Amino acid sequence: MTNMTHDELSRLLYAQPIRLLHRLAKGQVPRFFRMGKHRIIQTLLDFPPNHRARLVADLEAMIQEGPPPKPSAKRPARLKAQEAPPKAKAPTPPTHRAIDHPLEPATSIEELLEGIGVPIAKIFKPDPWQEEAIAQLATNDVIVSVPTGSGKTYVAIEAMRRAIEADQTVIYTSPLKALSNTKLTEFSQIFGADQVGILTGDRRYNPQAPILIMTTEILRNLLYDAAGGEIDLRIDTLGLVILDESQFIADPERGVVWEETIIFCPSQSRLLLLSASIGNPDEIADWITSIRTVPCHLIHHRNRSVPLRAAYLDPSGTLSPLFRTKDITHGKGFTVHPETKRLFTDYEHQTTGPRYRR
Amino acid sequence: MPPAIHPVDLIQVLRNKQLTPAIVFFTSRRACDEAIDSFEHRHVPIPPKRMAAIKKVLEPIIKEYPSIAHHPFIPIVEQYGVAAHHAGHLPSWKIAIEELMRKGCLDAVFATTTLAAGVDFPARTVVITQSSVRKAKDFMELTVSEIQQLAGRGGRRGKDFVGFVVITPSPYIDIGHIAKGLTGNPEPIDSQFVTSYPMVLNLLKAHTIDHIQPILEKSFAQFQLNQRSNTFETKLDGIDQELTNYGQRECADWITQWQSFELAKRRRSHRFVKIPHETAEVNARLSFLTPGRVVALSREKAIVLRQYRSRGQAHAMLTVLRSRGRIVEYPAGSVTEVVDQVIDLVEIKSFPWCNAASLDHAIQMLEELPTRVRPLPIRVVEDSSEEDSAEENSVLTETLNDEFPCPACPSRHACRKDHAPALRLRQEGHRLTKTIHTLRTELWHRFQQHIEVLQKFGYLTPNCQLTSDGEWARHIRINHSLLITELIRMEAFDGIEPALLTGVLASIAIDDDRPGSYPRRSSGLGSVLKQVRTVAHSLEAYEDPPLLRSDIAAVAEVWVADQNLPWSKLIRMTSMAEGDIYRLLARTLEYLSQVYSLKATHPSLAEVAVNAMDLMRRDVLEELP
Repeated sequence: MTNMTHDELSRLLYAQPIRLLHRLAKGQVPRFFRMGKHRIIQTLLDFPPNHRARLVADLEAMIQEGPPPKPSAKRPARLKAQEAPPKAKAPTPPTHRAIDHPLEPATSIEELLEGIGVPIAKIFKPDPWQEEAIAQLATNDVIVSVPTGSGKTYVAIEAMRRAIEADQTVIYTSPLKALSNTKLTEFSQIFGADQVGILTGDRRYNPQAPILIMTTEILRNLLYDAAGGEIDLRIDTLGLVILDESQFIADPERGVVWEETIIFCPSQSRLLLLSASIGNPDEIADWITSIRTVPCHLIHHRNRSVPLRAAYLDPSGTLSPLFRTKDITHGKGFTVHPETKRLFTDYEHQTTGPRYRR
Repeated sequence: MPPAIHPVDLIQVLRNKQLTPAIVFFTSRRACDEAIDSFEHRHVPIPPKRMAAIKKVLEPIIKEYPSIAHHPFIPIVEQYGVAAHHAGHLPSWKIAIEELMRKGCLDAVFATTTLAAGVDFPARTVVITQSSVRKAKDFMELTVSEIQQLAGRGGRRGKDFVGFVVITPSPYIDIGHIAKGLTGNPEPIDSQFVTSYPMVLNLLKAHTIDHIQPILEKSFAQFQLNQRSNTFETKLDGIDQELTNYGQRECADWITQWQSFELAKRRRSHRFVKIPHETAEVNARLSFLTPGRVVALSREKAIVLRQYRSRGQAHAMLTVLRSRGRIVEYPAGSVTEVVDQVIDLVEIKSFPWCNAASLDHAIQMLEELPTRVRPLPIRVVEDSSEEDSAEENSVLTETLNDEFPCPACPSRHACRKDHAPALRLRQEGHRLTKTIHTLRTELWHRFQQHIEVLQKFGYLTPNCQLTSDGEWARHIRINHSLLITELIRMEAFDGIEPALLTGVLASIAIDDDRPGSYPRRSSGLGSVLKQVRTVAHSLEAYEDPPLLRSDIAAVAEVWVADQNLPWSKLIRMTSMAEGDIYRLLARTLEYLSQVYSLKATHPSLAEVAVNAMDLMRRDVLEELP
């Protein structure tokens, strides 16, 4: 059993209680008592191969020997002298608990990088949440708060298609003119150039088209004019208002425009808010429900359609995983990969050395 | 070790690990452009096949947007397959880069974090080199939402099985912060509702003043304020509950009653000194130690001449007459017994505290005192109710009895005990009520302030209807609207040249404080801007004045004034980035179009504005809607 592989040994070590590891490390790892279990194991694993054999032998001997005798019996005796010995510590957990929940070995860079590639193009099938959003939009307002790049635009396009089929006007707003232009090209390709118009501060292209792209400020101004009595036909047939990047409601300067737009949005038209991940989409949904005639349905999830992994690239060119786990976990805390920790500590140490201090 | 990985090496590593295409986020525009330049220095071209592919994609875009045909970065993009994408570039250039990226022709795009929201293209990998970003002059840590927005560009739907975020250190990085951002929950967002003058005018155009408050209450701001005030209200309910727990007292408002009683007592108590340091026994005796009282000291008897307190002395003092006519001072505590005998003395206000006749009489009486005297029995009230005894100082009670029922009230003991905590609770309750009121009416209050200003300037009538000025002023829906409408009312723009109007509006439109070099401004622009500055200064109390930079205004002015000036020459006249000039002109166009919307009431000014717009729209500005 002495010719154990690295991974086997690592797994075996992680399965041992810390007590045993301390005994194992004694005299071999300096200051082992200041390290956590994980670091002790990493240090032990880094031993040169000839030491390694001895380590394995020691380990096996210790495992067979079983747990060491409890520390000297003198102290309980002294405690007994007192009437009721105070229970300072909770009873020590069973020593084999570590086997039930072994700390998984950290992922490796090879593991992290595996699976890169281009999937074969297949027929697009919408996710359940996308279908849900479109179905809800028939009767309700909808707010979609999902991670970037998980397919919000699909919801917008499908919703537009249905609105056009019902002979309604759709207004699509984005916070930036640059995005408006991109969307103009994108929607023109899908619906045809004559179906899409764009309104900017000073120009109108194809303003009678059923799909109108504009910045949110322009829509707000249209709504002002409609409220002021200057009837605009488009407002009357307006069936759907899509506010893209609606997390802009928190923008210090422009956020008020999004609020006004939502408040003054005609009651007959549905609202579709597309937003990146935000902390309180439920609060916004509650708000919209409270001021509009129909309830606002919230679609909120954090699953990305393409999984995301994190890596660390050292200035020397070494790539290592950023986290111990392969995928990025959400809301459960994190542990930085030991290799990355070492590399970054080295980096900080070197770049804040005297040479870089001014 | 270098402080940061060289961009070329970075892309090389990503290529080797098949992590391209990538978006690399840098702190500054300059870092992005320099990264591109460094590819030229190292000279590591991509295979000719890919160069051709890039050329093929670029061709139709150049045809559509001729302004980028001679862009200095085109050869680099074609040769090395990398590009920079930031606000300093023309929109048409950015469109070209986005298109190239979408077609998968590029290995990397170097972008600034500030534009993360405006970048609409994904990549396989996102490279983050910093954890803070420049926001309004200051470096701020990236928020969790921002980090996730950046990282979210990694992994293209339908083109990748998996996306990557690569963190590479630079002097601006805190790796823990980014790790936290990647795994954490995004921040909740808060309403940023602000009232503006155009908002007030437009709301009052459509609704009467009575309907405004319900409209404001529909805002997300009010929704959040209400939620906050709801938590306060639950707290308030708790306080009310606690107060009712004190139960029924004799009077309805016992807290106030007791408080005024306490105050009255405190105000009068200096007349009835409460002696703090005496024992109960001495205290009990004090009221008997009046002038003429015979007392026993430890050895002999004496007659009290006066009782007094002197500053700095904790104990009540006595001046007594001892045998052989000695007049001595003693602390009241040294009296061992009070004798049931008082000698008549005629008091005077100075030593020896009684007139000569009564002093003689007293000396004589002292000599004649029998050895055995009858001590006066004095009831000592026990210490436990020491406070009680002081409170119920008979004299005090008597004087306050007429005004307050408290001293004789059966619930006075309970009141005394509960008063302090109850008062604290009630004050807390009042504070909460006030806070809740402010939260509920804050928006409305701010709206009213704006109404007052607009009334003052004559855009609104006293009963909140739009005046003729207000009717047109509501069409100006941009920042610094008050300044612009005031300028129009002052006829500052009468007979103005289109170029000058453009310059003035440009200086109002752009709040950029970056220094740089700019073309010379005309003397006309200088004098008009001087006027505008005076007006802006006078409006300071109602509206933040814009920067009104004449140098930036000159860029817009020269573009309109010199119709033969090509874009390429304009960008060489100033140190402003191409994208910034474009944005300046585009915004000025927007402002001009707002002025043009006044064509019904100000036909001549609208004419100038539309002229200026026509003059502005050429070359690059003609390309995009």
